Amino acid sequence: MQNTSIKQYFLHALLGIAMGLILSLGGLADFKQVHELFLLQNIPMLLVFAGAIGLSMIGFFTLIKDRNRATKKYNSGTIPGSIMFGVGWAMTGACPSIALVQLGEGQLAALVTIVGIISGIWIYRKIAAPSFQLDTGVCGE
Amino acid sequence: MSEPFLPWWITAIALAVLTLGFYLLLKRPLGVSGSWARVVEWKNDQRLNEEEAPFLNQPKLFADALMAATITEFGEAEVARFMESRHKNKPKVDLKSVTEVATRTHWSLHLIFLLSLIIGGYIGAVYKGGFELQSTLGETHVALFGTGFAGFMTLLIGGMLVGFGTQFGGGCTSGHGLSGVSRLVPASLIATGSFFAAAILFSFAIRYLF
Repeated sequence: MQNTSIKQYFLHALLGIAMGLILSLGGLADFKQVHELFLLQNIPMLLVFAGAIGLSMIGFFTLIKDRNRATKKYNSGTIPGSIMFGVGWAMTGACPSIALVQLGEGQLAALVTIVGIISGIWIYRKIAAPSFQLDTGVCGE
Repeated sequence: MSEPFLPWWITAIALAVLTLGFYLLLKRPLGVSGSWARVVEWKNDQRLNEEEAPFLNQPKLFADALMAATITEFGEAEVARFMESRHKNKPKVDLKSVTEVATRTHWSLHLIFLLSLIIGGYIGAVYKGGFELQSTLGETHVALFGTGFAGFMTLLIGGMLVGFGTQFGGGCTSGHGLSGVSRLVPASLIATGSFFAAAILFSFAIRYLF
């Protein structure tokens, strides 16, 4: 069953705009910033990640009782897939959210990245996933 | 050179509030690569909706259909034997919990979320001092990868690695990094370590080796 009330659309839009705005204002959609992060030269950016994860962790463990709703499962794709993603992120400065933020900021080159992302997802879902048959822990995936 | 970006601690707090808020409001963890997957596979969603439609709010109908499918799969004798042994132990069966069709976020909601990220980026650019269309990702990217065909292919192949890799690896910076690591999900700890390591090694390589 799918809940598609107006409230759901509103919440998704609000959270999307908030996330896009935070990533933009935080400098995460700026290739120079991200590249310097990966060269371990951008201490403020490192602290953004460490801080965000650290504070989220505190939040999850103190405020939220059922925090293990929908956790991901390790399988033989976890490491190779993540390595591929890391390389792609270093090449484009984008992860799946940032590419959209880059576009919103007017960085038209992000359109190429997005075409790449959609192609990559399509290839995985239509060709690789059926042949790999990895156990993702979710029915029908 | 002063950066026109927020101080790191404000961004960190904002991202944490976003991660926790998303989880509390939408009752699922934030994970953008998942949203992408659902949008790309929207047709699959439509098909599942149609298959589920007859069973919505019909737990008895669903339970009967499940039983029929179980009998088809395992044979009447096996199922009868199993039901017999269960009745002996008299377990409490909550029909509702067994037959509740899983609540899944409609793909159009995922699409709205992704499009809203673009809007958020636009507002950010305007706030930082003017929205401006640019054809490259900036000087640093051009210096490393070039413009024209080389730059284009870097983005296309890089994008494909991101798309394929996040699906293959099960998540991205938000799904594994923010939602996973903060809940100490083992797969996320491994994934986040892997993608950061890969990004760092690759960046050092292209900067200092080529």
